[in-house]
Amino acid sequence: MKKLLAIFLALLMVVSVFAACDNTANDDPETTQGTVDESGNAEGDGNEEEAEREVVEFAPDAEYVYKDAVGVMATNWNPHTYQTQDDDYPTEFIRAGFYSFIYNDELNPVEGKDPYTGYVIIPEMAASMPVDVTEEVKAEHPEFNIPESATSGYAYTIDLNPDAVWEDGTPINADSYVYSMKRLLDPELKNYRAVDYYAQNFSIAGAEAYANSGHTSYADAASAYTLADLTKNEDGQYVNADGKKMYIGLNVILSHLGGDTLKGYVDSFGAAYFDMTNWETLVDMMDANGAIPLTDENLALFTPVIATEAWDETADFAYNYFVVGTDNPVVEYEGTVGLYKSGDYQITMVLSKSLAGFNLLYSLSSNWLVNEDLYESCLSENNGVWTSTYNTSVETTLSYGPYKLTDYQADKHMRFERNENWYGYTDGKHQYVDPVDGKIYPMYMSTAIDTQVVAEASTQKLMFLKGELMTYGLQAEDFETYRSSDYCYATPAETTFFLILNGHREAIAQRESAADFDKTQYDLETMTNLSFRKALAVSYDRDLFAATISPARSAGYGIVGSNYIYDPETGAQYRDTDQAKQALCDFYSVNVDDYDSLDEAAASITGYDPVAAKELFTAAFNEALEAGYITDSDGDGISDQTVRIEYCLSADDDFQTKLVNYLNEKVNEAAEGTPFEGKIEIYKSAPYGNSWSDKIKTGLSDCVLAGWSGSALDPFGLTDQYVNPAYAYDGAWFDANSVEMTMTIDGTEITGTLVQWSDALNGATVDFGGTEYNFGDGMTDVDTRLDILAALEVEFLKTYDYLPLIQDGEMSLLTQQAYYVVEEYNPIMGRGGIQYLKYNYNEDEWTDYIAEQGGELKY
Amino acid sequence: MAKYIIQRTLLMLMTLFVIVLICFVLIRMLPPAPLPVGDPHSDIIEARREAMGYNKPYLVQFGIYLRDIFTKFDFGVSDKLYFGQDVAQIFMEKLPATIVVNLYSIILSIPIGIGFGIIAALKKNTWIDNVISTATMALISVPSFVYAFIIQYFLSYKLGWFPFLIKDGTDWFSWPMFWSMIPCVLSLSLGVIAGFTRTTRAELTEVLTSEFMLLARTKGLTKLQATVRHALRNCMVVIVPSIFGSFIGILSGSVIIEKIFGVPGVGQLYINAINGQDYPMFMLDTIFYTTIGLAANIVVDISYGFIDPRIRMGSKK
Repeated sequence: MKKLLAIFLALLMVVSVFAACDNTANDDPETTQGTVDESGNAEGDGNEEEAEREVVEFAPDAEYVYKDAVGVMATNWNPHTYQTQDDDYPTEFIRAGFYSFIYNDELNPVEGKDPYTGYVIIPEMAASMPVDVTEEVKAEHPEFNIPESATSGYAYTIDLNPDAVWEDGTPINADSYVYSMKRLLDPELKNYRAVDYYAQNFSIAGAEAYANSGHTSYADAASAYTLADLTKNEDGQYVNADGKKMYIGLNVILSHLGGDTLKGYVDSFGAAYFDMTNWETLVDMMDANGAIPLTDENLALFTPVIATEAWDETADFAYNYFVVGTDNPVVEYEGTVGLYKSGDYQITMVLSKSLAGFNLLYSLSSNWLVNEDLYESCLSENNGVWTSTYNTSVETTLSYGPYKLTDYQADKHMRFERNENWYGYTDGKHQYVDPVDGKIYPMYMSTAIDTQVVAEASTQKLMFLKGELMTYGLQAEDFETYRSSDYCYATPAETTFFLILNGHREAIAQRESAADFDKTQYDLETMTNLSFRKALAVSYDRDLFAATISPARSAGYGIVGSNYIYDPETGAQYRDTDQAKQALCDFYSVNVDDYDSLDEAAASITGYDPVAAKELFTAAFNEALEAGYITDSDGDGISDQTVRIEYCLSADDDFQTKLVNYLNEKVNEAAEGTPFEGKIEIYKSAPYGNSWSDKIKTGLSDCVLAGWSGSALDPFGLTDQYVNPAYAYDGAWFDANSVEMTMTIDGTEITGTLVQWSDALNGATVDFGGTEYNFGDGMTDVDTRLDILAALEVEFLKTYDYLPLIQDGEMSLLTQQAYYVVEEYNPIMGRGGIQYLKYNYNEDEWTDYIAEQGGELKY
Repeated sequence: MAKYIIQRTLLMLMTLFVIVLICFVLIRMLPPAPLPVGDPHSDIIEARREAMGYNKPYLVQFGIYLRDIFTKFDFGVSDKLYFGQDVAQIFMEKLPATIVVNLYSIILSIPIGIGFGIIAALKKNTWIDNVISTATMALISVPSFVYAFIIQYFLSYKLGWFPFLIKDGTDWFSWPMFWSMIPCVLSLSLGVIAGFTRTTRAELTEVLTSEFMLLARTKGLTKLQATVRHALRNCMVVIVPSIFGSFIGILSGSVIIEKIFGVPGVGQLYINAINGQDYPMFMLDTIFYTTIGLAANIVVDISYGFIDPRIRMGSKK
């Protein structure tokens, strides 16, 4: 009896233990309400709180459709070949990265952060965080060339989520990833997205060698080598110090030509600019990639082509056309590419550049996965060119994300519906605590996403007011009506738009010497005068400018936009730092001592000073008179010439007209009572299309409102845009190599050129007067990096080549049918995306609500 | 007649060849959009251009293009707008939307336009004629996209009778699709109606004052009999070719109207192909519309002979 009782009790205990381990509250999709222990749901949250919260599940039969409009519909969302942002539209619905970002809340807390003020990175298609196996891989796989000194950051194993399947239920395992990477990098396919996995910071070992297998790849030498820097090999071909063969790039993209090829120019202009005598011979010698070996004989044939008066170059300029060749031997994927299977549900990834922490996880928030059978069936070859129809229709699309594509009509309509095979609906990780009612809700309340092409903004507005769209981006004419609406949301963007001002003296002199230029009436040279440029800079009230020209945007004062994050771990923004504020105060001559705090001083900056503008215009007049740019023949103290500034248009439209009229009006207001009163004219150019940037860079047009949009997580990288002549708009007249900057770092005074500072800031080891420094990420403390960035920003502003005017942003209305769980904009999370969108009404209720409102909603 | 048709057809093919050759070379002579310096994707784009043969001599490229058409009926795959997809298939998928919308528009416009034209001519210089003529002038003067926005605002937004955009899907002849097309069809029709009204009125007015009409009436025919049997038939020499022209026009979509009403047609293909330098798509459009245009000319010319027996084709004295 005792034995029986003991067995019974033992069985009872075992059953109890199993019952205690059960987590059906999370896994049972049928459960509509229940409770869950918070710590049970969060991945590595460490939350010890025992409080139980109500878990809400949405009624299974209710329909919540996110009704979206796009101007251009995706036509090719193949992760290996898509090229545009429009084509990337379906990605967030049908795919998932290895890791994803979610808000921090009580389920996923972040120490020191209030809920919904930061983010947490959770494993998505991965099962756990990557494990650093650099030491092991270095020892076992020497073929991946992990540096001997490296102990971490080069190799990781990633355990894959075993619950991840395609929408048809086919499992996704390590083989799927390896196949997908092999196809992505396939040298025959020439996939557009292949370079994303080797040419940037996230660089898979051997990926480049495999992608270029059997080909010679060329890289623009960017005018870095003259013949004196090169030596000849036994074939008579020049090689650089690394032993790489040098070529002349006839049909290779060159920074010297602003991204064009010489062949492009020769085809367009022919004998008008070039000596065509040897051209055909050279073209016949050209290889498939558009280059010929750099030998003395070839150089002799080549130099006469460019050494013409019309092209304005001599034989000495030939080095600008040199390219470096890399011969890539034929290699196999296996044993070359650092992405391989190390278990049925585990891959090992080897990198050629070390990457860790946030940057690694951020890089792995996207995915290269394709479905093998479908992918193979979509490939076709014609005349040696491979193309694929994978991900161009419903039939050629298989999802592994929260939604699946159920309808697609090119240029018309797309519909995504819940992918019931997505693990995220049942894994208990995709939940959040509502900041208002404290209950736990599943993410992705939308049951479908219905997207239509609505090209006209006016139609979008009418549809939105009828309740047929979820959002409407405000147009200039809407701001007055809707900007203070409860449903209006402002979304900042990283770009600062500045007025780029021509300082290319040679080009301007050449334009003035043209036969049809009347120097007695007009002048261009004065715009290069520093006082004149300063006067222009303080003639515009940035706030008023933004409010008038583009009300969704705000005033911009610095080179670096207000949305750039310098520390992704904390989300801290550069413009909020003391260094950035001090930089603006220094540039705009705001004395911080006159204010209670630096914040107050920085907030007082308007960039607008009409009194100073008048003084500067007067000074500019005297200096221009002295320099002979203008005359004052009647001695009335007024310039005889009108300073004409061409505004460079890519295409003409109402916005440009409004902009140019405003620029004209305000500068002439500022010039009233000065020698330039009524003597400054900003006028529109012909539409230059894509060549507008070339016109600005070559000084053939005078100003344009433009900006850079870089990586919002790397403000430091922006500096290269201002010192690198390949990118800089003022590269033809501002030599960042000739401007020196001195800073005291760790008690040491360091002097270097702007190029040196920029390079060092971005991770290059640079020799500053005999001592090498590297101020890259992880190489020095972040405060030092911020100091350097701020100092460089002031230096760029001081050129007055870039006059910051507006900070990019947009405003939009959100439908009354739904609301954002978090209204505050977060630079990393935005407003949470579709997973955090909650509905006030399901579709039936919404129809009734609209009818109650008389069919027209008020915002 | 047969000889005339053969001659015209051969001439048409020659003209087509010349136009296609010129277009082929001109579009490729446009300098490609500059590629971003430093962007590693530029190398891939350039490599694909090379692989596609875009750096070969133009005539070699043209030869390959013709060879693929004649041997495989392959017009190529789109390399910009619809990357990797067969341009002919894309074009054929989009053509029905354009045809159906335009077809409804023509079916609506012809009887109404001719009807108003006849009424205006018969009631010449009365208030009815004045109202019709003024309305006609107004409709012809105002661009169709203006009606489009007005129609969309009142019929779809204010009254809520119709959807803003045409329905998605390919059930072109279903009732919901027809209903959703009405605002678009109306926008396309108003101008066409006005055109037919003006032409019919002008022709009929002239014919009605002809001496043979007087003769017909003196023979004892009623005004209706004389108008229908004699006047209208004579008018048709001018009206029928314009009807033919309109039917041919149904193949070419309206860029703006298609955009406003979300018609997934071919209207914007041509311009997008030029802007995007999508050579295969541009060439397919060029070949298609040039062929249609040239064929239409022949059909219209031949139709004259059927409508008016006094016109004989190809006869030489």
